[in-house]
Amino acid sequence: MLEPEDMKSVGFGACSVSEECQTEATEQKNPFNFRTEVFHMHKDHHIFEDGDIQRHMYLQDLYTYSAEDATTLSVSELACHISGCSGTFSTLEDYEHHYNTLHRHVCCSCRRSLPSARLLDIHIQEWHDPLFTILAQRQDMYQCLVEGCGLKFSTSKHRKEHLIRIHKYPPDFRFDRGKKEKGAQELKRQQPKDDMAMDVVQDVCDSEGTCDLMCNVSCSDQLEPGESMETQVLKDKGDGLPSSASTEDPSTDAQHRTALKPQYSYRVPSTVCFGHGSVRGFRGRRGRRK
Amino acid sequence: MWRVKEVGHKAGRHGGTLEQLRLKRRQQEKSLRQARRDRQLVSKRLLHVENEDDSEVSMDAASEVEDVVGLLHKLHQSGPDKEVNLRAMSKALRDPSTQLTFIKQENSIHLLVGLLTGSDARCRLLALQCLHELSHSPHTSVSLTCLPASSYLLTYLSGQSTRFTELCLYTLGNLCPDGDAVTEKLLAQGIIPALANCMESQRHNLAVVEAAAFTLSQLLQTRTAAQNIIPTVLASRLPSLLLSVLTPEPEFGPAPAIECAWCLHYLTSSTKDNRELLTGGALQQCSSLLGTLGGAVTAGKRDEGLELLLCPLLRCVGNLLCCCPVEELSSQVGGASFMVTLCAIIHTYLHTRPSLAREAAWVLNNATAHCSQICSALLSLNLVPALINLLLFSEGINVMILRTLANVAHKNKESSVQLVEHGLLAALCTTLKMADQEMVTLSLEVLFLLVDGSSKIAKEFVRQGGLALLEVIQFNSEREMRERASYLLHQHFVSYDQ
Repeated sequence: MLEPEDMKSVGFGACSVSEECQTEATEQKNPFNFRTEVFHMHKDHHIFEDGDIQRHMYLQDLYTYSAEDATTLSVSELACHISGCSGTFSTLEDYEHHYNTLHRHVCCSCRRSLPSARLLDIHIQEWHDPLFTILAQRQDMYQCLVEGCGLKFSTSKHRKEHLIRIHKYPPDFRFDRGKKEKGAQELKRQQPKDDMAMDVVQDVCDSEGTCDLMCNVSCSDQLEPGESMETQVLKDKGDGLPSSASTEDPSTDAQHRTALKPQYSYRVPSTVCFGHGSVRGFRGRRGRRK
Repeated sequence: MWRVKEVGHKAGRHGGTLEQLRLKRRQQEKSLRQARRDRQLVSKRLLHVENEDDSEVSMDAASEVEDVVGLLHKLHQSGPDKEVNLRAMSKALRDPSTQLTFIKQENSIHLLVGLLTGSDARCRLLALQCLHELSHSPHTSVSLTCLPASSYLLTYLSGQSTRFTELCLYTLGNLCPDGDAVTEKLLAQGIIPALANCMESQRHNLAVVEAAAFTLSQLLQTRTAAQNIIPTVLASRLPSLLLSVLTPEPEFGPAPAIECAWCLHYLTSSTKDNRELLTGGALQQCSSLLGTLGGAVTAGKRDEGLELLLCPLLRCVGNLLCCCPVEELSSQVGGASFMVTLCAIIHTYLHTRPSLAREAAWVLNNATAHCSQICSALLSLNLVPALINLLLFSEGINVMILRTLANVAHKNKESSVQLVEHGLLAALCTTLKMADQEMVTLSLEVLFLLVDGSSKIAKEFVRQGGLALLEVIQFNSEREMRERASYLLHQHFVSYDQ
């Protein structure tokens, strides 16, 4: 990377979530500071290394113009910018595939990634819509996951049976997990595909059954190809209670990082979401961005 | 006489297969890189003897040693075969172990110096050849034995014999890297005025000009050059002499221009204040030559000498641009042809010599940083689309290119609009995904420059699907990136929800 001696570098430091949220949402100062600059390069600057070597090879009679020695310039590497994700890619195609597979259809509330928009909708409805639980007591609300089937069921168990029997879903397809315990249970992180670990806010949903269908929160290492989702990592709060606001101390995040991604201290607050179809959350009926 | 086109032949002369040669080169390159990191990058040049029969049988080491001692003995006796013996001696001294033997012999150097200053012209030349071989040794214990001859070597610089002067110059040049004591002595003995006089009186003799410039370049690379040597050089006629050699299309070959350009590079890169050189026309001359070479660059013919010349010229221009007053910049660099050449260099050497492309990109940044005329030229000459394509490439090139485009966007709104028309937004959608943090942060800055005050451009960015990228970056671990993405989303794109 070029480091011209006059190029300014702005330092950054960790800050807690609430402070960051506040700064960015309310009193946002203009952080942009680009200035046009000329750079004087000293003769010992590393930008001149290759040219100097060429010069001295010439002086020492070693200079050559061999075509075989020609280097190929590489295309700049792409990287997934989602915090906690350390995926790097050499082609746009790979990047798009990665992003579409693992970062689209992300639930705003619990940060889980779902394989499709439809499953995300169902997830949000079943996990995060308070109205759902109420309605489910009176009518069949659990939709069959298979698109076009249209059937609904009174419980997630019924739906699961339907999926196995009618749609030939495998029996060990993550149906049989009960309602998850929150907080106190520290979930072991599974060796993720694509070296990813997605961080999750403590505010985990607590609806039953279905979430296990769609989210890989088990310690099992079996992942259905079509259902590859990220591993969710729950922080052990110690007191066993879920918290609805994301005010956890960022520094305890350290334990969950893989060696691949450097430690950072920024956490995704549950109140801020991506828009435009990539990540959605339940905030009333329309899910409009704040 | 050095000519670039002969280099290949010389390399082959030393025997060994092509593969061995390649291996040797790679090893040498590796050690040169390490030397540079240690600030110990030095080179010496050996002037090959012309018209020599290289196919003679090489003697074994033992007999050569005997030979040297025997030859010395004969020479001390001032016999009639002085010339023959000296010739044999100079051949023998090509061997490093013979050199060691030689310097250990009593009065060996004294003998050579005596012959160097004697009345026999041919013996002078041969003695000088012996000293030259010694000066080329990488061991300072050997090369420093030549130092007693330095005052004579300097004196002979004003002589008329081409070959002789060349040998003196290269010998002196080889001594320069051998320590502070050497440079002190040479400076005291007046090497700088001697070089200036030599270059001036011999300016039509390009072999001598090349040799003199090489020697100067050696001086300028010494440890204390910035304090002890450069001020004196700048005060002499040397800068203008160096510049006068930068004339296009030399029939002799680019070698003299190459040496002079490297001298100028060491001068401009050692200190930030280059106003003296600027007023002497250095920027004009270097840019002019660059512009002329542009034709050869775009013709794409692979010319070894061309690259060796482009490199120092680019560096001189790049550093001289830093102290050039903005209002004179465009006229000094020669406007359009200069810009075209710069871009041609970047594109031509992108894959074959990426370092050259990178240095040209740096020059482009310096040219566009403060000068609106240059920025407009970039747009009007339609050089921008090709530059935008380069944003994909790594190794620092894309950063400098992006800075250049940022310089253009920074000038006025009209420039931003034109940049967008050429596809900069689409390119940013890719650069915002890059692993290189500097690139991403810079891309955000450029995006800000483009959308700030232009709802049209903002809408276009949204239309191209850019918002998702910003949202992603909002949650990146680097605060610089987060702040910028967040600011853009909240201040410039807030009403563009689809």
